[in-house]
Amino acid sequence: MERQLIRLNVNNQDYEIYINPKTLLVEAIRDHIGLTGTKRGCDTVSCGVCTVIVDNMAVKGCSVLAVQTEGKKILTVEGLEVDGKLQPIQKAFLDEGAFQCGFCTSGMLMSATAFLKESKKPTEKQIRDGIEGNICRCTGYNSIVRAIDAVAKGKYTEDK
Amino acid sequence: MISDFTYLRPGSAKEALQMLSKHQEDGKIICGGQSLLIIMRQGLVTPEYMIDIKRLDELSYIRFDQKKGLRIGATTTHRAIEKSALIKDKYPVLVEMEEKLASIQVRNWGTIGGNLAHADAAGDPAPVLTAMGGSVKVASASGERVIPLDEFYTDLFETAMNHDEMIVEVIVPPRPPKSGTKYQKFNLLDSDQGIVAVAATITLNGRTCKDARIVLGNAATITMRAKEAEKVLIGAALSDAVFEKAGEAAAAECQPVADIHASEEYGRHLIKILTKRMAKAAWEQAKISG
Amino acid sequence: MNKYTVINPHEPFRVLNTHVHNVDGWAKVTGRATYTFDVKLPGMLYGKILRSPHPHAKIKNIDFSKAMELDGVKAVVTGKDTLGVKQGIWRRYKDLCDEAILPVDKVRYIGEPVAAVAAVTEEIAEKAIDLIEVDYEVLPAVFEPLDAIKKDAPEIHEGFERNINVTRHIEWGDVDEGFEEADYIREDWFRCGGQAHMCMETRCAVSSYTPDKKLTIYHSNQSPYYMQGLMAGVLGMREGDIRVIGPYTGGGFGGKFELDGAIFCSTILSMKCYRPVKIVFTREEDFIATKRRTPMFYYSRTGVKKDGTFCAREAKVFTNGGAYTGMGATALYLTGFFHSFPYVWKGYRYDGYRVYTNTLPSTSMRGFGAPQAMWCSEQQIEWIAADLGLDPIEMRRKNAHQEGTILPGQATIASCGIGQCFDEIKKWIKSKGKLRANRSIGISACGFMSGGIFNWFDTPYSFSSAVVTINQDGTVELHVGAQDIGQGSNTTMAIICAETLGVKVEDIKVHSGDTDHCPPDLGAWGSRQTLMTGNATKMAAEDAKKQLLEFAYAQSGLNIVYDLDIKDRWVHAVARPERGYDFGELVKKALRGKDGQKIVGRGYYTPHRKGMISPAYSYMLQGVEVEVDEETGKITLVDSMTAHDCGQPINHLGLIGQLEGAFSMAAGYGYLEYMPYEDGKLMNPNLVDYKMIRAPEMPPANIAEIDTYEPEGPYGAKEAGEGLTNPTAAAIGNALFHRFGVQMKECPIRPEMVVNALKEKAQKK
Repeated sequence: MERQLIRLNVNNQDYEIYINPKTLLVEAIRDHIGLTGTKRGCDTVSCGVCTVIVDNMAVKGCSVLAVQTEGKKILTVEGLEVDGKLQPIQKAFLDEGAFQCGFCTSGMLMSATAFLKESKKPTEKQIRDGIEGNICRCTGYNSIVRAIDAVAKGKYTEDK
Repeated sequence: MISDFTYLRPGSAKEALQMLSKHQEDGKIICGGQSLLIIMRQGLVTPEYMIDIKRLDELSYIRFDQKKGLRIGATTTHRAIEKSALIKDKYPVLVEMEEKLASIQVRNWGTIGGNLAHADAAGDPAPVLTAMGGSVKVASASGERVIPLDEFYTDLFETAMNHDEMIVEVIVPPRPPKSGTKYQKFNLLDSDQGIVAVAATITLNGRTCKDARIVLGNAATITMRAKEAEKVLIGAALSDAVFEKAGEAAAAECQPVADIHASEEYGRHLIKILTKRMAKAAWEQAKISG
Repeated sequence: MNKYTVINPHEPFRVLNTHVHNVDGWAKVTGRATYTFDVKLPGMLYGKILRSPHPHAKIKNIDFSKAMELDGVKAVVTGKDTLGVKQGIWRRYKDLCDEAILPVDKVRYIGEPVAAVAAVTEEIAEKAIDLIEVDYEVLPAVFEPLDAIKKDAPEIHEGFERNINVTRHIEWGDVDEGFEEADYIREDWFRCGGQAHMCMETRCAVSSYTPDKKLTIYHSNQSPYYMQGLMAGVLGMREGDIRVIGPYTGGGFGGKFELDGAIFCSTILSMKCYRPVKIVFTREEDFIATKRRTPMFYYSRTGVKKDGTFCAREAKVFTNGGAYTGMGATALYLTGFFHSFPYVWKGYRYDGYRVYTNTLPSTSMRGFGAPQAMWCSEQQIEWIAADLGLDPIEMRRKNAHQEGTILPGQATIASCGIGQCFDEIKKWIKSKGKLRANRSIGISACGFMSGGIFNWFDTPYSFSSAVVTINQDGTVELHVGAQDIGQGSNTTMAIICAETLGVKVEDIKVHSGDTDHCPPDLGAWGSRQTLMTGNATKMAAEDAKKQLLEFAYAQSGLNIVYDLDIKDRWVHAVARPERGYDFGELVKKALRGKDGQKIVGRGYYTPHRKGMISPAYSYMLQGVEVEVDEETGKITLVDSMTAHDCGQPINHLGLIGQLEGAFSMAAGYGYLEYMPYEDGKLMNPNLVDYKMIRAPEMPPANIAEIDTYEPEGPYGAKEAGEGLTNPTAAAIGNALFHRFGVQMKECPIRPEMVVNALKEKAQKK
């Protein structure tokens, strides 16, 4: 099968990769660009561990063809920190212990990041609905909801 | 594993239709791919040519006018519909339905056209759109036609489209006055597809029911109209007893397939309850609508 | 959102039970944590496994010639490459080592590995699998334990009459006399479902066997030491020639401390072609081919006095063991033991029968047989209270364990906070006032072990070991064999080390997950690490502290009656804390005194003379507020309360996380996680049809932490996180009982079952 050259912009960096067009976005990110923070956990678009942000929208990397994201801005978990400084949502996750095994955490952070950008003063119900697409087997979600709520309420500033 | 394909990216709807016309059953349209990629991974669908219409902005729109009603372009995402103030105002049941469809991630990328074309009997949009008398406009290289959703589904995962056709628009007629539509699916988890689902539209004439549409999701191989239930409602002075009877009629006429989530008996039971509840809810909405 | 209260708080510690960040947090929230799933080695191949489509069949022939011809395929292995070596985690009992991963003669469940392929890409490996031709002779199969024990049932393992794999008997007191004294006797049959571990990281391994006969394995597991020992056994290699690395692990929950197809097949493939081989299970493979929680048929007969005093209980259990033993023997024992918990019985008797069937093998899963035991016991007790017109909480309290309770021949309870747990649950129920018409509350009590005393693995090593090394700048290396699978053991050990040594958590670097560099440890199962590895860590830190203080005493010239201690990196006289030395500076001086040798402290722990089960027991009460749609039977969890005694909490954030997480898994067992089989085939091996709690379904998890002191635990600590997986399903059942009077005998409770139960009840009237 003929491969094609595509250019993806991931975390503000352009990458040229040579891929079979059936390559999924999560495969392009992990195997071709080499960023392994984004994980994979199912084959039915159910678990959400592959969530990344494309043009400010949370999407599941297992159900998007990489070729479809040419020219778009892709953000992965590795792109959250800036110059070694954590984003408020990452700090909140640390403070609340909003992770255990950590395998769902990358995807969860991306869902939370996209959600927080779109939501002003979310209620607890809205936060829960906001991360409905991400399964966590370890935490029972409440610590994650607390972390998102804390950020939404402005408890963190970026330069602390 | 997904099988290999030649990837084609048409620059316009016209070009996409020409490609479809050229490749016929060897070609497959992909837009959001939220359903398609799953079945391709399972090896159920192995197209030689993948025609990607995700970037066709000309097919992404939400328009409304009093005469023609609501028109949604096929590549409009679920999320756009969910967040549309216009749709929330004019057809709030569509927003309610989208809010519970899969997850935000799926709604961000998946499209209304793709969902309807996938023809899953458990899909959320079809019952709601059918209950509102909706249609799809499908196009080919040689022209267009409008197919009412009542006639769009022919069998499990199959539509009335030919191999060279694709959905370009979803049409919902203007809502008559004193009309309400409500939808509910029965599921264990909040945004799962329904084990069964019911969409109901009630249109009133004074206190009598002038028109009723009861559409069942996942209670047969395709979205089905519960015509016996509708007969119970049309012309009746609506009351709890009538809704109860409508529910029983729907339960008798539906054809749920037993699976691990529900036996046939329980499936019918759920249809009875949901029909009763949604018909009543639609009635409540109709009473206060303009 | 949640309310968190502490009852009887102990004097605050410097580090223990304070708000400490997880030591692996930075790696996990920045995407830097690499899991086995992420490992890539130079020259690595990708492996795929061919699985049996039949529940029971003889393997007549395997022809993989076509697969070998496929360009890119480097190796194919079958049972012939393993000489049919059988293994099992119960190493001491050879007859329970009944599983040859890659069988030679026959397959016993759908999904059993039959062959494996290594190729340069995953896609080629998948294509190659399809080219392997296996000639099966299908045999009659049996799927339910009550069918498998019949005389004419097909024989699954040679030599196991009636397909009975293991039996267990537990008895104390005088059961018959107890029943004679009873005013009221009730007997019930129950059916407990299976459950999937559903770790977010599926099973995976990367194995690299090199021509110098050394083996390196990356494996997602709960015990690198177990993997090392088991692989050495099956391969006939020395343990020292095998290195097992457990990188960050994406969940375990009891399913990852045995050999699985990933580690086994990737190793055998690598041995054939001398290249690293990576196998990652798809989610579907994880469902159909990794062992599950043991489904059980429970019979329980209970006699009580009319004032609610418990007299006797007799239980008989048939478990669906599936095709192989795994950890099922322990689950069989523990379910029988915990079916008595947390109460005193004049007489108690349990007979358990683990039965082979041609289904997915059953093994341990968080709770280890206790969720099943409590599903039955705690509901039956509720029904007895109702039958006798007694308050269900007070009836429980009357019979509950206390500090000092002895379970003859089994255990001595050295710490027990259950009394206060009852108080807190009652407070919560009272605070809820009048509930909405469609809601009701159910409660359930439990206790659980803090690690087992058993050595069926037949290790000659201490159960846990730890080494503390102090660097010249006062930073500390802590080497443990405890495996962090998300529960936070790295953080817990760092906290214990920091508290003991008088430094801060950020001074400690925890080394774990590598048999080359870490001491052996039985690993993360049975909720053992906080107590056992915690004790080892405390001992090692005390050893290092003692060595350092020797120099401090010499340096200070203090009168013999005065003591030195270390707090916040400050070595000081306890009576005059302002006089002292900086920890780091003192360490440097101590080095000179030791010829430049770092201070190294060693610690270890193995339970001795601690009964038949565990050195210590946690206690908890679970309350759950449940809303039920009477017409559809749909269950929604609205609120919850957990009153919990884990002795002395160590890792504050970790504790909350464990209690909330345990609730979600336990509640799933009660009303969602249905795992139906038909003719040996799992009907829902995917996350669309296997239902699990997501964020919208999780209710608030209020917690009342009751502090007690467990003498056997480090600083008085005992387990948290596995015990709470046990009572919740029964609490949900009890909520339904309170509202509708229905007795749900089968879990998980599905809405259709609720509707049917209500219909049945209405018809009876």
